[in-house]
Order: sequence, then C-alpha cells, then structure tokens
Amino acid sequence: MTAQVTVLYFAKSAELSGLKEEELVAVPTPISSQDLWSLLLQRHPRLCVLQHQVVLAVRQQYVAIGDELVALGDGDEVAVVPPLSGG
Amino acid sequence: MVEPRRDVLKLCHDWLSVQEVVDAVSSASCGATSLFIGTTREDVLNGRKVIGLEYEAYEPMAQSEFRKLCDVIRERWPSVTHVCVHHRLGWVKVGEASVVMAISSPHRHDGQQAMQQAVEQLKARLPVWKKEVYDSQEASWKENAECPWASNHKQ
Repeated sequence: MTAQVTVLYFAKSAELSGLKEEELVAVPTPISSQDLWSLLLQRHPRLCVLQHQVVLAVRQQYVAIGDELVALGDGDEVAVVPPLSGG
Repeated sequence: MVEPRRDVLKLCHDWLSVQEVVDAVSSASCGATSLFIGTTREDVLNGRKVIGLEYEAYEPMAQSEFRKLCDVIRERWPSVTHVCVHHRLGWVKVGEASVVMAISSPHRHDGQQAMQQAVEQLKARLPVWKKEVYDSQEASWKENAECPWASNHKQ
C-alpha cells in the first residue's frame, strides 16, 4: 500500500532542504520511521547534518527515528523536527 | 460553583503585553498568579553579539502539544485554574519578551510549582524554534537542553 503525504520542513531542515513543504506520492505504508527518514535523505542529502538530532511528527505526534512502524494515509502531514528551542 | 478552566496559547508576531496575559488568567477564586517572562538576552558568542532572535513554529501542533502540557499540569496540580501563554513568532529584538506565561491558582504553592514544570515542558515539547542572529550577520539555530533529541540534552 502507498499513501500521498505532505512533508513539512522547519527551522534548520527547511534551510538544508530549501523547502518549507512538499508533496510525496506513493510513500510505502506502513513504513518504519527510519525508512521514512532515509527516503527524505535521498531526496535532500544535506539533511544528513541533522542525523541523530531529529525526530519526525506524523499527524502531529512525535515519532523517534527507529524501527517503529507508522501507518500513513493520504493527506497526512509528516514534519521534520530539528531540536526544539521554544520559550 | 467551579468556573470552566481556561488554557490559552497565543502565537503572534506583535510585541507581548504582560498585563494581557495576567488578565487572561484572573479569577475571583484565585489568590495567586504565577508569572514567567522569557526575554531575549544580549548574549555574546565567540565575540559576536546577539542582536535578536527569529522564531518559527509548527502552529497547529504547538496548539495540540500545549493542550497535552496543560493536561499534565492539571493532573499533577488540580487546583490550577487558568493557564495562558503568549509566544512571539518572527523577529524579537534583544530586550523584548519572547514568551509570557501566567498560571492562576487559589494558593501560591501549586501555581509556582506548576509554572516551573510548565516552562520545562514548553521547552522540551513545544514545536517552536529560534535562530540567534548576530551583529556579524551570521545566525545559528538554538537547541533547548530540555529537548530529548538536542545534542546538548541534559538527562
């Protein structure tokens, strides 16, 4: 199964990818967060700067990069989340 | 009669009014208002002076994470009555407030404890980022030590 998702880039990840958002079509689902991150790295190799200091947010829930499987549906938002610095 | 509890997070590009945040949590049942103001500091890093901060946010998720933060606070300190946070987005000059947080409670102990935890949780979980801009025209994205995936995370 595949899904079409919107990927949002914030802060440093937006600078590294050169994008604020993009549509990804035919993303396999379910997919591990590691594989999803690798997919983004393939598209934007400069994101590797964030390796080990990044998580994703799928449907506004934080997901650590790892073996955890996420189920994606059409229209879902996936955000690239560099270390936070609010407040 | 218990008045409905209010949790408000406002993200805005304008200068913050401390009075507005304090007024937002006022209640006849509350004898204590606890307040935190985070102000942009004139820091110096490697001989470069900070002239301001640039903030951005994943706004819908900031709202949902804020609600989770308030649930955690209220579970631990049920007497907390209202919570209000105003956070700047965009450019914040040195000396200006980036965030104002107010919590009202009947008595001060719970409010002050809850405020400490609220600031900690906000820094650890709210999807907001700030970039320090220096007088050398360089900039760098900051990382909160409270954030579990930051390189400087304190366990």
